[in-house]
Amino acid sequence: MTEPGRHPGDALQRLLDERLPPPQRAAVQAHLLRCGQCRRELDALRGVKAVVHEGLPEHPVPPEVAARISAALATQPSRGTRRLAAVAGLSLAAAAVLAIVLTRSFRPDIVADAVTAFTTAGAPGVALQIETSDPRAVERLFADRGLPFSPRIFDFGMMGYRLNGGGVHRIGNRVSALLAYIGPDGKRVVCQMFRGTASELPPPAEEREHGGIRFRIYRSAGLTLVFWQEGPIMCVLVADGDPEAAIQLAYAKAVIV
Amino acid sequence: MPDSDADDKRLRFESLALPFMQRLYNTALHLTGDAEEAADVLQETYLRAYRTFDNFRPGTNCRAWLFTILYSVFINRRNRARREVGPLPVEELEQRYHLFVEAPLDDSGDVDGWGKRWPREIEAALHALPEQFRAAVLMVDVEELSYEEAAATLGCPVGTVQSRLHRGRRLLFGALQEYARRTGYLRSVEP
Repeated sequence: MTEPGRHPGDALQRLLDERLPPPQRAAVQAHLLRCGQCRRELDALRGVKAVVHEGLPEHPVPPEVAARISAALATQPSRGTRRLAAVAGLSLAAAAVLAIVLTRSFRPDIVADAVTAFTTAGAPGVALQIETSDPRAVERLFADRGLPFSPRIFDFGMMGYRLNGGGVHRIGNRVSALLAYIGPDGKRVVCQMFRGTASELPPPAEEREHGGIRFRIYRSAGLTLVFWQEGPIMCVLVADGDPEAAIQLAYAKAVIV
Repeated sequence: MPDSDADDKRLRFESLALPFMQRLYNTALHLTGDAEEAADVLQETYLRAYRTFDNFRPGTNCRAWLFTILYSVFINRRNRARREVGPLPVEELEQRYHLFVEAPLDDSGDVDGWGKRWPREIEAALHALPEQFRAAVLMVDVEELSYEEAAATLGCPVGTVQSRLHRGRRLLFGALQEYARRTGYLRSVEP
């Protein structure tokens, strides 16, 4: 609540953006009636918001950029060989060879996909397929969705992280099991498991060995990514916050298969 | 006619994602301040989005999903290139803003009408903001994402979006004051 004589500060912006609940809105509006300084501040914020929204010039996408993106999408490896043959005017055999070449030249970036999964899991557009703290519910989801392997559901409870949900996702053009966790102070951990090998990964920033397991560590976009192998399954743990804490989480859960 | 699931996927992706190319390109341009870099960010965004399209839930917010990927691509490339647009003198801009707010009531002009008069100056001022404030202003004021969507896109709490947005607006106001004064929209506000 705004007290008489005290400026509402940040609440002015929330009033401008229509994010104040009615009682607080009424209090700020009452304050504005008697405070010229706050009226001017609101005017300034409103003015600059309108300036940026209305006055920023719009740049068209250069046609060559749009064409480049379209061409890049057309050569993505999941495209059907038959259609590629039709588009390129090639025989099916020649198209198959071309598809292999294109697949190699567009080798999936597993590290980038793991970062994307972290930044979008639970975000608008990519809500988790199931939101639950019950590991059995996540296991049932994986079974129902036909996941071709049985992932371990990590328990980070001892480290203060609770399971938030999961889903069947994709990483490096293949299916993965995704698990999301919420930890202290809103810190997040996202784990994915998928069929793969370390040879598919780019050179890591750091490699460590712990308990007979080799860990490949990457840092990207302020995140720490730790990869390790469990039999035919590759695991990756992605976390924000303290990099060493992320590595310790991986150490705690990795097992030799 | 699509001849495989892969073709069907691509058609669905193109119909959903390509209409946002213009918005994504402009945001990339304002984040990077460089047309060539913006084009690369845009292309990487689309390729990454396509690769992970199976993760997208139909019927949800495709635009916010694409912005989230775009910002992640931008941060990743920026960290690699260690490039940053030269920021404006933040303290000086804050001072200008406070001088305006605290000035005697009849000492200033009208902020209304600043809008469409100086597109180049607005763009230059936006590009010169420190990246974290510029990104918040872009997502909320230009792209009209909600605070929650912007928080997910920028990978930070809602409260952080709110404070960065507030600071970004104040700094932009400070940066644009000079133009406003020169063109008679503000009268006597001096830093």
